[in-house]
Amino acid sequence: MHPVLSGPRALSWYLLAWLTAGIAWACAMALSGLAPLRNALWFAVPVCVVYAFVIPSAYYVCRALPFARRRFSMGLTLFVCSALVAGGIAWALCQGWNQFSLALQQDWAGVALSPNAGMALFASGAGIYLLWLLLHDVMMATDQMRTAQQRELASRALAHATELQMLRTQIHPHFLFNCLNSISALTSIDPAAARAMTIALAQYFRQTLAMSEQSSIPLAQELAHCQCFLEIESQRFGTKLAVNIHIPDDAQGALVPPMLLQPLVENAVKHGIAPSTNGGTVHIHAAVRDAWLHLWVENPVEDGNGTDLSIPTHRGLGLGLRNTRQRLASLYGEKARLTQQSAPDRFVVEVALPLTTAPTAR
Amino acid sequence: MIRTLIVDDEPLARRLLREYLHAHDDVEVVGECDNGFDAVKAISDLDPDLVFLDIQIPRLSGLEVLELSGRDHGVIFTTAYDKYALKAFDLRAVDYLLKPFAQTRFDEAMLRARQLMGQPSPGLQALAAQPPGKLERLLIRDRNQVHVVALETITCVEAQDDYIQIHTAGKTYLKTQSLSDLEVRLDPALFVRVHRSWIINLAHLKNIDRLAKDSFVAVLQSGQHVPISRAGHERIKTLI
Repeated sequence: MHPVLSGPRALSWYLLAWLTAGIAWACAMALSGLAPLRNALWFAVPVCVVYAFVIPSAYYVCRALPFARRRFSMGLTLFVCSALVAGGIAWALCQGWNQFSLALQQDWAGVALSPNAGMALFASGAGIYLLWLLLHDVMMATDQMRTAQQRELASRALAHATELQMLRTQIHPHFLFNCLNSISALTSIDPAAARAMTIALAQYFRQTLAMSEQSSIPLAQELAHCQCFLEIESQRFGTKLAVNIHIPDDAQGALVPPMLLQPLVENAVKHGIAPSTNGGTVHIHAAVRDAWLHLWVENPVEDGNGTDLSIPTHRGLGLGLRNTRQRLASLYGEKARLTQQSAPDRFVVEVALPLTTAPTAR
Repeated sequence: MIRTLIVDDEPLARRLLREYLHAHDDVEVVGECDNGFDAVKAISDLDPDLVFLDIQIPRLSGLEVLELSGRDHGVIFTTAYDKYALKAFDLRAVDYLLKPFAQTRFDEAMLRARQLMGQPSPGLQALAAQPPGKLERLLIRDRNQVHVVALETITCVEAQDDYIQIHTAGKTYLKTQSLSDLEVRLDPALFVRVHRSWIINLAHLKNIDRLAKDSFVAVLQSGQHVPISRAGHERIKTLI
């Protein structure tokens, strides 16, 4: 629907504007001595008000040929033709009304129109119409741009949400089946340990599910989740896996996106501990510095007796880190970063986030 | 007695296998390994009748152990999850145990292994020659040593009788494998068979010289010259 004709409020303002324009025009005519004010008003005001209803058609002309689907020549032809038609209507309107007024044979009705004045009427009718055409065009283009932008934002938010959902509820089959195998082994050797591991596994998945409903959690909670994961893994890897966690008190309450640390810790175990023969220590450290939260996850890299046996394992590493990096980018934009350092004997991932803390009322 | 070797990096998984093996009186566990290197060594040193081989183990994968040891009989794979490997096992009728598995399923695998005891399995031979998945590195066994060669360091490979000679920037290695078997596992966009007995790595190619009409030679960055056959020239032309 036309933006002006859609409601009585907009319509009355629009007509009021035209009425004013008509009065102004009449005053101009009277001042330049073309006609007495009375005659000028009788001529100009009705013409303006009627023409006001011709102008809105510009909107439909623009909509018939949207900006994106228009060739320049086509648009130009259409605009010029419709402006000429509108000019013709304006001219006919003025002439017709004036003829009618003159036919009334009253001294307050009718003005003297020279052929030149007729040309001017035609030109201004066409010009005003063209102006409106262009105005509508710009308005519609801006509108389209805004909706496109909104749509893009919405789809990005949706993609983001889906990706998070996937990330959070993702069950790594290798992890799950190996755990179940360990539990199966423990049932006869150490039933209590089997029970403990079942409970830890249940707790791990419960936490994963609970986290998928939150957008940010305190670091302490994320850490508890990682510890639950590490507890299960240490049951599987035995003495091979050692853990060193250092989170200062001021970092405990810092808010982080859920499942930020866990994939990094999982990577460290998968690529640092599992493939090594002697195992090693996974370090998880945090620090608060100048309104930034820094997180480190470090794992040892086995040198493989001089031969580069880490070739295939390093390949798989890329994907998990890329996911985390993309997540940080979509959540924080340029304000967060993930860096990785690869030394011959260790691999470090560092994440830096703007520091936010939970509101004190908890 | 069936002399058995257990290869798995998780202590609990090894204990579970031992427990299931208790039910079989004629089985003797001769060794346990927690990584691929030890497994290759143990297979050749101990020559067990039966090997339980986990796929995801440190240093070398179970499939690489199979390839390097040349083992062609008495192998039961164990794995938690590996979709490429499982597909290949099904395709070649190679037995495998999916963790976690029950004693009954384990006994079935034992029964099947007993029936086939000592006979070379075509499935295992095919698996060793054509392991599933993309080739990421080349393994060369040289007596008691295993050389691991990253693919990007290989400049060219030459076929010589029933083995291949692998040229890298610094060293050359010999491996018992056919050039065609290697060719199918390499990335065709990077490694080109330029001749019946040559494959070159395009990343190490410097230029192609024309010796005469229809006679070309590839010059590698190392300065080495590699002959190009007419068919090889057609292949390499489409790639560069």
